[in-house]
Amino acid sequence: MSRPIASNIRALAFGIGLLFLVASIGVGYWTLVAGDELSRDPFNPRLVAALRDRPRGTIVDSTGATLAESAKIAEGYKRVYRDRTLAQVTGYASFQFGAAGAEAAYGESLVGQDRADPLAQWRARYLRERDPPGSVVLGIDPKVQKAAVDALGGRRGAIIALDPRTGTILASVSNPTYDPNQIADPSTENTAWKQVNENNDKPLINRATQGLYAPGSTFKIITGAAALESGFDPNQKIRVDDPWQADKSWGSYFVRSSSHAHGDYTMADGYRLSENIYFAKVGLQIGGQKIAEYAQRFGIGSTPKCDLASAKGQVSRSGSLDRPTLVADTSYGQGELFVSPLQMALVAATVGMGGVMPTPHYATAVRDAAGHTVRVVEPGAQGQVIRPETAKALTVMLVNAVEGPGAFAFAARIQGVHVAGKTGSAENPAGPPHGWFVGFAPAEAPVIAVAIVLENTPRGSEDAAPLSPPVMRAALHL
Amino acid sequence: MVALTRRGQELGLLVWVAALAITGSVAVAAAEIAGFRPQQLAVPVSFIIVAITLHAFLATRGIRGDQVLLPIAAALTAIGLILVQRLASNLLLQQLTWSLIAAGAFAAAILIPRDLLALSRFKWTWALVGLFLLVSPLLPVIGREVNGARIWIGFGPVTFEPWEATKVILVIFFAAYLEEYREVLSHPPRRFGPIPVPPLPYLVPIVLMWALAMMVMVFEKDLGATLLFLGIFLAMLYLATGELFYTLIGVVLMFAGGFVAYHAFAHVATRVDIWLDPFAEESRFGPSYQLVQGLFALGNGGLLGAGLGNGMPDRIPVVWSDFVFDAFAEEVGFAGALALLACYLLFVYRGMLIALRAPTPFLQLLAAGLSFIVAFQTLVIVGGDARLIPLTGITLPFVAYGGSSLITNWMLVALLIRVSDVSARARGSP
Repeated sequence: MSRPIASNIRALAFGIGLLFLVASIGVGYWTLVAGDELSRDPFNPRLVAALRDRPRGTIVDSTGATLAESAKIAEGYKRVYRDRTLAQVTGYASFQFGAAGAEAAYGESLVGQDRADPLAQWRARYLRERDPPGSVVLGIDPKVQKAAVDALGGRRGAIIALDPRTGTILASVSNPTYDPNQIADPSTENTAWKQVNENNDKPLINRATQGLYAPGSTFKIITGAAALESGFDPNQKIRVDDPWQADKSWGSYFVRSSSHAHGDYTMADGYRLSENIYFAKVGLQIGGQKIAEYAQRFGIGSTPKCDLASAKGQVSRSGSLDRPTLVADTSYGQGELFVSPLQMALVAATVGMGGVMPTPHYATAVRDAAGHTVRVVEPGAQGQVIRPETAKALTVMLVNAVEGPGAFAFAARIQGVHVAGKTGSAENPAGPPHGWFVGFAPAEAPVIAVAIVLENTPRGSEDAAPLSPPVMRAALHL
Repeated sequence: MVALTRRGQELGLLVWVAALAITGSVAVAAAEIAGFRPQQLAVPVSFIIVAITLHAFLATRGIRGDQVLLPIAAALTAIGLILVQRLASNLLLQQLTWSLIAAGAFAAAILIPRDLLALSRFKWTWALVGLFLLVSPLLPVIGREVNGARIWIGFGPVTFEPWEATKVILVIFFAAYLEEYREVLSHPPRRFGPIPVPPLPYLVPIVLMWALAMMVMVFEKDLGATLLFLGIFLAMLYLATGELFYTLIGVVLMFAGGFVAYHAFAHVATRVDIWLDPFAEESRFGPSYQLVQGLFALGNGGLLGAGLGNGMPDRIPVVWSDFVFDAFAEEVGFAGALALLACYLLFVYRGMLIALRAPTPFLQLLAAGLSFIVAFQTLVIVGGDARLIPLTGITLPFVAYGGSSLITNWMLVALLIRVSDVSARARGSP
């Protein structure tokens, strides 16, 4: 006689009971535990639903001027955006496509349940009562923003300007842009959505924080910082002969000087004349590990702690620098490096602030409907990245890189103010190089740090540096 | 002349079902912009009349035994009607019509065949009917393809998913076949260490049946049905032989098959990929849109839910078929979802109890297999909706919108009640 069927039935029923328990736990996880996080997802139509039924809060700039607000239409409400140049910053809120930019990052605040107010959150979640929405204040300074927009002049690229003391982002331009009004308007949303998504220029991407480019020579700031902190003597003269390779094992591979240089270089010369061979030799001398370590210290390869979506970039594909040619290439900003303009602006800000890196943020405050401040956004500094004396030495050399004789970055000069900065030309497979400029001013007590990228511009860095003075002037009230 | 039986417990439970159907319908209607109108009560009231008629029918036919299954099935069907009213009110009359037809099918299955054991006598006929139903969607003229799966047959405007019927027929065939050969199968003449080497010739018919089912499913592209057939096959084999090893081999084969299918079929790969990372940027507006919206709905549920009619489950595409559980959970919360799962578990345990008390191995296997179908379908679709396993298009029994599923599930209830009737008579209890 075999095992009675009855005991098999009992065992199967027991197994089924266990699986029901597992299923219940799974359902409990999603309904009870994950609920909070899901409710914050910018694509969750429930958060955006407030759009249709009631007005959302406004988004204003640092002067209080409205950037985004809700307008009554037949189906309820839709969002209206006032400044196309801030399309990627304000983002959009659409019933169908979810939200992006500040509309997403401060979605809860804009429907009257800011996270600083647990009572409002609780009431919204369990009682479905929401406070009338207030506003989200951005740090965008309209004068600096306009100067940056005019400087870029419709060319593909990005400019980001921030206050190094607080990390507040003062201007943020990303070209090409799009019209968020079209996406927010139910009558045009489908065609507009299709259009921006099929556009190869990717206008939805905020190039200032999410665009990834090789940093080119702007990366030499990091190489220099790593060298100075490894005990490297910046006054030691290093021989430069174009083209250069460390030894025969490099085969047909050479590092090239952009000025076809032959001569003895100090670090100050290296910055002023943006000498690739000098920094390649420095990088090889201190080693790939140091370069990678300092790139990581400056935040390359990790997502910036910014309130809007930002890209993390990379030091190299593997994350480490193990081949001599890769170390050499990385040291002057090529290799496999990818950085965002925000990351480079933070590098400049860190040097300007004596080695302390600020935490970047677009919003500065959340207010309730009556105008009272619910929450001040002031994330503070991220910490000491390099030693104050390293930052000081770098600042002197970077001022020299703008103001010194024959300086590559001479176009970034401003009459009466010391500007510290570095240009870069990023080689890329897509055509002409991307032109870079990063810098800060006044050098001795900076109030603005900028990063500028011009995509595929014929003269690379030479085209980018002249964009800096108008932006800095606006911030310096000159 | 048959004697009237007393089914008081059943009637008592049906009063609760009536309360559920009416409050649910009123709550949904009240949350709508138009508000509640008295004529909307026509749907729940007609359904209650149908359920009570079924009860009266069982009593007048002198059916003994289980008095809980009918109320649970009625409660689940009522929840289904409430959800169709909530999510796709244009389909409500259709669903009500389907439940009337399902009630008719239930009554028919109570009457025919006269002797339940006749089912086991014609097992090879069942096998042929099952096979024909399986292949039928592939046939010209009557076969229909909907949403990429060729699992429908249609005559004019009426369409039917034959696999729904096949699942019941498969259980009948397996129960009959395994009753006959279980001794041989569970006492294989040879063992290879701990591994039983089954007498191959006896396994051939069922393995063949299973393999054919798999092959047809490959052509019809229906993962849910494939998984269900596999589950039925393994469960029945285990129930008959108690040989856990067969089941283990089956599970291993299932994963192997899944692995091959993942690499061979794009639609399988997509299902697995969106399960692993539904929130990926590139898929959340594409293939995983539905799942992500379903999870948002669950997340909005909380403990007590948004309240019927107050959530936004209508943002889930085709919510009334595969995602009806998420919609339900959003509006009645974790508490309501647990209650629904408890209804299913109660149904399954009643079914298993009937199986335990059944007088012959065939009836035992039949009742356990049928209960297993309900358990398995519920677990697979709830697991898919809650992202515990990849989502497969299988219906939530009694609740999900659709006629084929409702009709076969009600026939399944009828068969279970008949098994309990047989054992009650054998024992001489009421």
